[in-house]
Amino acid sequence: MIIMASALPTFTKIGKVIRLNRHGCTNRPFYHIVVQKTKDNQDGPVIEQVGSFDAMPNNKNEKLVALNFERIQYWLSQGAKLSDPVAQLLGLSGFLPNHPRTIIQAWKNRREPPRERKIEAIKGIAPPLDNPKL
Amino acid sequence: MFGSSGSRVLNVINISYIQSRSKRVWVRKPLGSPMAKSKIFRITPKPVLPEDEKAEIKRLFDNYKNSMKSIRHYFFEQSLKQAESGEVAQMKHRLEDQEHERLMEENRLENEKTAMLREERLKIQAEKTQQNVLASLIKKEGEAKLHEIQIEDFLTKQMSTPFIQAENIEKAIEDALANPVNFNFALDLNGYVYRGKDTSIDTIPEEKRERLNSN
Repeated sequence: MIIMASALPTFTKIGKVIRLNRHGCTNRPFYHIVVQKTKDNQDGPVIEQVGSFDAMPNNKNEKLVALNFERIQYWLSQGAKLSDPVAQLLGLSGFLPNHPRTIIQAWKNRREPPRERKIEAIKGIAPPLDNPKL
Repeated sequence: MFGSSGSRVLNVINISYIQSRSKRVWVRKPLGSPMAKSKIFRITPKPVLPEDEKAEIKRLFDNYKNSMKSIRHYFFEQSLKQAESGEVAQMKHRLEDQEHERLMEENRLENEKTAMLREERLKIQAEKTQQNVLASLIKKEGEAKLHEIQIEDFLTKQMSTPFIQAENIEKAIEDALANPVNFNFALDLNGYVYRGKDTSIDTIPEEKRERLNSN
């Protein structure tokens, strides 16, 4: 009986990755920071959600990021890799050292102003929100 | 264009088994297809960085990778420590100890039981061996006595047989010469014996014939 190499099951270890999963709607991205297997799709099965990142700045010109540091530490101890954007966010939050890309982007911004975007960043401070809990 | 290529799916890299109808699945450009006309003579500008900038970038990345490696190692060590000392581990240890104690107790009881049985068995065996030994000793004694008796009989028999001593030798010789023994004999088919070397059958009458008795 001839068995093809592709017919045999492979038992290679598939690593885990902490990366951004794009949710939200058209022209309004919202990312979940998520632990997944490397081979899975972005919209595929997720092992655990470990935070979120809103790329669109809010009324106060803030891009909100939520991070579950305890769980991230656990997954890093179990050997999960980080994608670049997630590494940058963690560096900016202070959990990890600053990613080189942030530093490079910073000096590039200083050298020449960033290119024009279609959506303008909101400048100035918005009026305070009604909800006292936020 | 590449995603909705009819029923045949060519060169699909990532298929999600959970069907998502909202997104268009990315399919790569078919391998045999030619380069697009807008891209044939395209020469992409290679980004040139000055040397010091490259060196600075390399330095930053090397430092970052180094620190990331050590951080990961540290997290791993922490997780091991946590596994040893954390609540779950403590509970596990406690349960294990309880289980161990229970099993040891069980083992002890079992050992005691078997010890009791063993004691009885050994007692019975000891009795038996004692009896056996006694019996064999008695037997040996009896045999020894028998043996002695046999020896005595044998000796008396031997002593009673007429051995020729130094005093009797002349008398014995004279007796032997006076009474010669003739060992010659012949047998008949009817079972009669004719002794002597030179006896002939006709000389002996029928009544005086000896019958051979095998004893």
